Amino acid sequence: MSWFIGVDVGGTFTDFYAVNRESAQVVIHKTPSTPHNPAEAILEGLDALATANGIPADAITRLAHGTTVATNALIQRKGAPLALITTEGFRDLLEIGRQIRPKMYDLKADAPPPLVPRKHRFEVRERMMADGTPRIALEDAAIDVAIDQVEASGAEAVAVCLLFAFLNPEHEQRIGKRLRERLPQVAVSLSSAVQPEFREFERFSTTALNAYLQPLIGRYMRHLGEELRERAPKARLGINQSSGGLMSVERAADYPVRTALSGPAAGAVGAAHVARLAGKPDVITLDMGGTSADVALIREFEAEIGFGREVAGFPVRLPIVDVDTVGAGGGSIAWFDRDGLLKVGPASAGAVPGPACYGRGGTEATVSDANLVLGRLSGALIGGAMTLDLSRATAAIQPIADRLGFSIEKTAEGILGIVTANMVRAIRTVSVERGHDPRHFVLMPFGGAGALHAGDVARALDMAEIVVPPAPGILCAQGLVVSDLKEDFVISARIPLTEAGRTEIDTAVAPLAAAAADWFASEEIAPARRRLRLAIDLRYVGQNFELLVPTDETDGSAPNLPDIDEMKRRFFSAHEKTYGHYTADDPIEAVNLRLTAIGEAERIPPPAVTGDGDQHPTPVARRAVWFDGAEHDTPVYDRAKLSPGQHFTGPAIVDQLDATTVIHPGDTVSVDAALNLIIEVSR
Amino acid sequence: MSATPDPITTEIVFNALQSVTDESFVALMKSAYSTNIKERHDHSTAIVDRNGRLVVQAAGSIPIHLASMLGLMQKLLAKYPVSEIHEGDIFCANDPHVGGGTHLPDVNLAMPVFSDGELVGFVCNIAHHADVGGMSPGSMAGGMTSIYQEGLRIPLIKLFRRGELDRDLFDLILLNVRVVEERRGDYNAQFAALRLAHRRLLEIVARNGRETVEAVFDGIISRTHARMKESIAAIPDGTYRFEDFMDNDGAGLDDIKIALTVTINGDDAVFDFTGTQAQVPGNVNIPLNGTIAAVCYVLKAMLDPEIPNNHGVIDAITVTAPPGTVVSCVEPASVASRAHTSQRIVDVVIGALAEALPDKVVGAANGANSMAIFAGTDPRTGRPYVYLETLGGGFGGRNDRDGKDGVQVHITNTSNLPVEAIEMEYPLLVEAYGLIEDSGGAGTWRGGLGLRRIVTPVDHDCVFTGIGERFRHQPWGVFGGQPGGTGHFSVRTREGEVRDMPTKFGDAPLREGDSAIVETPGSGGYGPPEQRPAETLGEDWESGKFSAAYMRENYGWEVPPSD
Repeated sequence: MSWFIGVDVGGTFTDFYAVNRESAQVVIHKTPSTPHNPAEAILEGLDALATANGIPADAITRLAHGTTVATNALIQRKGAPLALITTEGFRDLLEIGRQIRPKMYDLKADAPPPLVPRKHRFEVRERMMADGTPRIALEDAAIDVAIDQVEASGAEAVAVCLLFAFLNPEHEQRIGKRLRERLPQVAVSLSSAVQPEFREFERFSTTALNAYLQPLIGRYMRHLGEELRERAPKARLGINQSSGGLMSVERAADYPVRTALSGPAAGAVGAAHVARLAGKPDVITLDMGGTSADVALIREFEAEIGFGREVAGFPVRLPIVDVDTVGAGGGSIAWFDRDGLLKVGPASAGAVPGPACYGRGGTEATVSDANLVLGRLSGALIGGAMTLDLSRATAAIQPIADRLGFSIEKTAEGILGIVTANMVRAIRTVSVERGHDPRHFVLMPFGGAGALHAGDVARALDMAEIVVPPAPGILCAQGLVVSDLKEDFVISARIPLTEAGRTEIDTAVAPLAAAAADWFASEEIAPARRRLRLAIDLRYVGQNFELLVPTDETDGSAPNLPDIDEMKRRFFSAHEKTYGHYTADDPIEAVNLRLTAIGEAERIPPPAVTGDGDQHPTPVARRAVWFDGAEHDTPVYDRAKLSPGQHFTGPAIVDQLDATTVIHPGDTVSVDAALNLIIEVSR
Repeated sequence: MSATPDPITTEIVFNALQSVTDESFVALMKSAYSTNIKERHDHSTAIVDRNGRLVVQAAGSIPIHLASMLGLMQKLLAKYPVSEIHEGDIFCANDPHVGGGTHLPDVNLAMPVFSDGELVGFVCNIAHHADVGGMSPGSMAGGMTSIYQEGLRIPLIKLFRRGELDRDLFDLILLNVRVVEERRGDYNAQFAALRLAHRRLLEIVARNGRETVEAVFDGIISRTHARMKESIAAIPDGTYRFEDFMDNDGAGLDDIKIALTVTINGDDAVFDFTGTQAQVPGNVNIPLNGTIAAVCYVLKAMLDPEIPNNHGVIDAITVTAPPGTVVSCVEPASVASRAHTSQRIVDVVIGALAEALPDKVVGAANGANSMAIFAGTDPRTGRPYVYLETLGGGFGGRNDRDGKDGVQVHITNTSNLPVEAIEMEYPLLVEAYGLIEDSGGAGTWRGGLGLRRIVTPVDHDCVFTGIGERFRHQPWGVFGGQPGGTGHFSVRTREGEVRDMPTKFGDAPLREGDSAIVETPGSGGYGPPEQRPAETLGEDWESGKFSAAYMRENYGWEVPPSD
C-alpha cells in the first residue's frame, strides 16, 4: 500500500489531499493553519489524516508541499539582515530600479524600500563587458575588503550581483567561494546561480530576494524535514515552486525565492489536471477565495508560464505560472465611493472578522452576505461545522439598501453584479494581453467562492461552458499530488537564428543539457519518467522584448531543436498571436535558451464510479433563491450523492463540504466520469 | 434621455466602459511597431460622448494626452456637423495649432459609434509615433524654431470615409515620415484598436440599451464633476500666486517666466497664467490644452488620486492664459519639447497652492524631462545607431516623508533601459549609474536625489546630445525646505579635463576615452531643516547620500567621532 499526499498551506486552512496509489481511493482533510509556525498544522493534520484513515507512517511514499512561508516573509519583511556586493559604480542600482513610480497620480505611493539598506551595499572594483570578457579584473584583495565590510555589517545573508555575471560568472564565483570560506554561517546567493539572465535590475532583485529568504526558509525546511522523517520515513518530500513543479527540500533551501509565488501555481496545476480528465484543453480558471480571485489561462492542458512578476513590490524574474489577481473574494466589502457609486473590494473582511454573516464581529456588507441574502449560499458551511447568520447579513446590507432606496435583495444582486464586473474586466484584459478570446475557453471555478459566481462571470463573457471540479475547495492540494518534479535551466546568449547560428545554439544548449542530466541523476528520476523541454526567447534584431518559442518535448536523453525554418515559423506564429503581425524577412535572434527538465509524476486514474442508475438526482432540500430580480423555488443537491451520467437543469444549488455551486435558470448540468459538473450556459 | 441610472447600474456599465478602454489600450500596445508605444506605453485610449466630452480614459493613459483628446473633439465637432459624421469614418489629426494636438508625434484618431442610426459617441486613441517627418529624425530634436521644421502637420481630416481608407491621403502622410513600414504598422495598430473599442462599445449598448448607456455617460461625468467640486470647495478661498523660470528655450533665450494666479472662490477655481513669457523661438511652447491637462494632473494628484479621468474634472476648473504665451502658444510656435514646460507648469501650480494645501503639496521636482542622446556608427557592424534615454531625478519632499530618489516625476513615468541592454545593443559602456550626493534639498522631509550616469563610447568616436532643464533655476523647497541640486552636463576628456556643457546642446563630439557625465536635478525639501528628526540625521549620514559638509551646513549636525 502506498499513499501520495498533497499539503497546501493557506492563510486560513491547511488542506490535505491523499490518494491511494493502488486503489485510487481519495481522502481529504482540512485543519486550521498555524501562521506562527506552518509546520505545526502540517504535522497535526498529517497525524489526524493518518489516524482517521488507517494510513501507516511508512505507507506515505510521496509528500508534496505548497508553502506560503516565503511569500509571507516578504510581505511582512521578516527576512534576514542582508548585504550586497556589486560592481563598482552601481551600488544604487537596486534602489533606482527602473526609475518609475508605482502610481502615476499618487504623490504618496512609494516603491518599497530596498531590502538592502544603502550602507550595506558594497562595491568591488571589477567589470565584465557585454561580450563576457573582463574590462577590469577582480583582485583578491578587493574581495577581502568587501567581505570585511559584510562581516562588520552583521548581515546573515549576502547577495552577490555583478554586471554581466550571466555571461561570465567567474568574478561572482570567486567572491562566493571566498565568502563561504571566511563567513561560513552567512547565506550566499549569486546572481549567476539564481537566475543567469540579462537585465541587471530584475536579476539583482531576484537574487536579493533569494538571499533575504535563505536563512528563514533553510531553517523551516530543515525543521520540517526532520519532523517528517519520523512521521513518514519513506516519503519523498517535494516542495512546490512558482513554475508549477516540485523541487527537493535541499533546492528549496538554496533557492527559496522560487517558492514565493507557488500558492496559485498549485491551483493552476490542479486545474490543468482536471481539464485533462474532463477533456477540455482550453480553460480560464477562476480561483476565488475570501479576499481575492486568481485568474489563469490553460492552453492545451498546460498552464501558461510567464517570466516577470512582482512579489511584495519587488520584481522577480523566474518561470512562474501566469496568474493574475483581482481584489474580489467572498469577504470583499461593499462601500460607497466619494462620487456616490457603489464599489465592492478590494478591501476584504478576510477570515477575521469575516463577513457579517459569520457572526465573528464583522458588520460591513460583503459578497458572502449578499450570497446568503439571495439564498445562493446555504446557511451552513463546511458540513454544518459553521452556520451563517442571515439576520446579520441583512443588517449589514440594510444601510446600503436604504441609501439606494432598494430592497435588500436588489441591493444584494447589485453587489454581486459589481463583483462580477470586476472579475470580468480582469479576465478580459488578461485575455487580450495574451491574444485570446474568452469565448473560446471553458470556465473552471474553484476555491471556496468560485462556483458561486461562475454562472454570472460566464454569462458576462459569453462563455458557453463551465466545469466545476469535484473538490473545488481543495484543488491546490490535489494539484500538488499530480505535480511533476521540475527544474529550469537558463542561459543568456545572443545568437542569430540562422543556419550559421544553429551550431552556436547547439553549443550553448550543451551545458544546459549536461546540467539537466546531472539533475535527473541526483533526483533519482527513472529514465522512463524523464522529459526535456527546450524553449528559446526569440526577438527581431533591435526589439527590446522577446517571445518564448517552445520546441517539442523529448525524453530525457537530449533536447530537441527543430530546424531553423521551423523555429522561424513558430516565432512568426507567436508574434502574430501576441502582436497581430510579423515580418518574414527581418532578422531574428535568440536571447535566452531555457531548458526545463521534468521528472513526470505518476498519474493515478480517478476511481471508477458508477451511477446508481437514476439519471435524475433527488434534491436534498428546496429553498428560495434569487435570480434576475425574482425568487425561484430551487432544488438543492448534495454533491457527494451525485454520480456520473446524472443530469439536471437550473435553477439549482449544489452543496458540498467546501463549496457551493449556483446553477442559473435554464442552464443544464451533467456529471462526467471524473465527477466534474459540466454546466452548459443557456443563452 | 432616461432618468439618471442608479449607482449600481452606473458602476457596472462604467466598469464595462473602462474595460473597453483598457482592452483597446493593451491591443494598441501589443500590435504597435514603435518601441515608444510597445515598451514605454506612450499612448492612450478613450471614449467620448456625442458632445465631445471625455467619458472614460484608459487607466494607463498619460496625463498630457487628456489635452489631445479634448482638442481633437473640439476641432472635430467644430468642423463636422453630426449630419456629416458617418458610420465607419475615422478622423485623424496631430497639429497643435489647428488639429487640437500638443505636439506632432502624437497622432490622434477618433471613430464615431452609431446605434440604430443615432450617434452614441466616439472611441479615440493617441499614439506617439517614433517619427513624423521634419528636419530631424525622431521629430523631437532641439534647435527647431518653427512648427514647419518639426514634421508633417495634419489638420483634422477624415482618413476613413464610411469604412473606406482614403488611400491618397494615407500615401501622402506616409511619404512624409521616416521608416515608413514601421509607421504604417503603428497606424494599423491604431485602426485595429479603434475597431476593437467600437465593437466592444456596441456590445455594451446592445446589452444595456442606448439610452441607459448615454445616461451613464452623463452620470459618470456629473458625479466626477461633483466630486472634484467638493474637493475644490475644501480649498480655503483666496488668491494664490507663484512664478518660476525655465532655464532657456534652447534657441538663445534665457529665463522663461511662468506666472500663475489661482483664485479659489467656493467651488470655483480659476488658474490664470497672465504674466507668463510670450511664446519663444525654441520648441518649449505648449498649447493651452496642454496647460489645462497639466493643471488637471496636479488637481487629481493632490486632491483625489483615485478620481476618474473624464470631462467632469476638466469642467470643474477654468484655465486662462493670454494667447501667444509660452503656455498658450499660437501658430507657428514650435512645441516638440513641450514636456519640459508641462513639468514646470506642474511645479508652478503646486507652488501656488502650497499655502492653501500645506498637507498636499510637495517640494519642486527635477522639473525636467532630461534627455541624453548618443549617436554614431557601431564599429562592430558598421551600422549607424542612435541611443536615446530620458532620465528621472529627484521628487520633492512631502508633508510626512522624504521625497523620492532617482525617479520619473509627475507627467512622465517611463522606465530606463537596463545597463546590460544598452551595452549589448550599442557600442557604449556605462561607467556608473547612481544617485548624486547632496542633490536633495534639506528639510524636515528632504527632497529626492538626482541621477548621475557616465557613458563612454567603446572602440569608436560618437556624438552626444543633451536636453536639460533646472540647470540654473534650482528645484525650490516649500515651507522652509531647501532647494535641491541643479542638473549638469559635462564631458571628461581622455586627457582628464572636465568640460562643462550647456543646458541644451546637440551633437557634441565624444571621442573614444572621453566620458559623458549626465547629472539630473534633485528636488526641494519640505519644512525647515531644523525640525528634521534627530534619528533620521544619523541615518542620512550612514546612507552615504550626504556629505559631512552638507549635514553641518543644513542641519548643524556633526559626524560623530569614530571609535
